[in-house]
Amino acid sequence: MQHGYWIRSKPIYHSLAWQYKAQAHVLLASGEGGRSVLRLYQQRLPDQPVTVLYLPAENEDYSAPLVTVVGTSLQVFPDARELWQRFDQVLQQSRMGTRLYAAGTESFLWQATTLAVKHGVLNADVMREQPASLARPVYCVHCKTTTHGVTTNIAVCAGCQRHLFVRDHFSRRLGAYMGLMIDAEDPGNVPDAEEVYP
Amino acid sequence: MSALNVIVSNIELVADGIRHFTFIAADGGELPGFSGGSHVVVSMPAGNRTYRNAYSLLSSPADRSNYQIAVRLQEQSRGGSRFMHEQVKVGTRLDISWPVNLFPISRVGHQHILVAGGIGITPFMSQVHDLLRTGAGFELHYAFRSPRHAGFIDQLKQLLGNKLVCHDQSQGQILDLHALLSRQPLGTHVYVCGPDGMVDALIATAHELGWPDAHIHNEEFLAPPVGEPFTIRLRQSQKNVDVGAEVSMLEAMEAAGVDVPYLCRGGACGRCELEVLATDGVIEHHDHYLSDAEKGAGKKIMPCVSRAKCSFIELNL
Ligand code: FES
Repeated sequence: MQHGYWIRSKPIYHSLAWQYKAQAHVLLASGEGGRSVLRLYQQRLPDQPVTVLYLPAENEDYSAPLVTVVGTSLQVFPDARELWQRFDQVLQQSRMGTRLYAAGTESFLWQATTLAVKHGVLNADVMREQPASLARPVYCVHCKTTTHGVTTNIAVCAGCQRHLFVRDHFSRRLGAYMGLMIDAEDPGNVPDAEEVYP
Repeated sequence: MSALNVIVSNIELVADGIRHFTFIAADGGELPGFSGGSHVVVSMPAGNRTYRNAYSLLSSPADRSNYQIAVRLQEQSRGGSRFMHEQVKVGTRLDISWPVNLFPISRVGHQHILVAGGIGITPFMSQVHDLLRTGAGFELHYAFRSPRHAGFIDQLKQLLGNKLVCHDQSQGQILDLHALLSRQPLGTHVYVCGPDGMVDALIATAHELGWPDAHIHNEEFLAPPVGEPFTIRLRQSQKNVDVGAEVSMLEAMEAAGVDVPYLCRGGACGRCELEVLATDGVIEHHDHYLSDAEKGAGKKIMPCVSRAKCSFIELNL
């Protein structure tokens, strides 16, 4: 099994922090990422306008405290499609000096980054925080299905039902870790899965 | 570094103190291709020493029949610009380096703002051709003291139309950097070349407004400052090289037949970096390349612009 050694493709995330030199701030969060936004709001607020776009997840809905803390800068979206549409619009209207922040699951972070890059933002200029859960999106290299929220080192592919070994190799384009069939050599010989990405 | 042999085919005065030179290949053939923003280093044999200065290429990269450069007569010229103004005539043969580009247009940018002050217009002359060809969105802001100082203005007006915005200081037209940089859409890159004060002000304004570093580009080649004489000891080649008050360390080593790689000769690119082994004095860092921490540590030096106040400095070369 792979332990947390350094691998080039594995992104490193930070806690969100305001970039005070700015013209505006746009925050994007989903599910547990709402907590990161709340934490960010405990720091001294910047002087420039802030926009927060939030997509609640089942069992992870921070809308209520966000409304209280963020107030009118907050927009909550019922589904992902509307959130991405709005984010696209916001980017379209933004000026240089708009700071971008994203918090949420890993696939959410990279979807946000990919969209920002389309608007000429450089990858490194989006600040990303992966809150709480380390759950991984896993891309099956055999059937090309991405299985979300994987917390174990071996997982069953949601597409083809193969047992996949979850590698540390992360594709920024796909926003997922690579999953390879574990019993290809010796069919049926599947070791016990361990919860390593709680 | 292998040189290109060229012949001066035309010289024009384009603005106060600015001469425009056209070079053609000595063998009559095509010159090597280059991209917008490139420069060449011209070798100028003046008496018993050779000056080498970097000059931006001005012509369209699509035209390989000639190269063009502009040289402003520096008031405190160490000799290079004076040589170009006084010694070089139509028909003079010169050695120049192959073109090098240290100031390219970002390929991922969605829109480009070019800001030139005075003679700082030169690197943009070739870039605008590339930008026009690719159809990228851009504006060129050209600030100058008076129309007499505005080299290439007619040519630029014709080529760029309303993509050219002039700021004529004699008419009280001051370039408002804050206004310019605060209204640019996401994905814009800014490029600046001009006097120190202008470059510094633009970078500071962009940072204040939250522009990420990777979107701010500047070309600032420095001239090597004068200092006091000292001696370089070269550990590997077992040579001592005396550096006069008015020559740079790089020039002194070249004159002594020591090959030191370089690209910009202006403290910007990092190509000439050398390791310092010992000195009995202090290094005077003048470059824009090393970090403050590296400068403080005193283990590295950029001999194209930096020198030392010492009797000797030993280099690992
Ligand atoms: S040659 Fe570029 S820094 Fe010295």
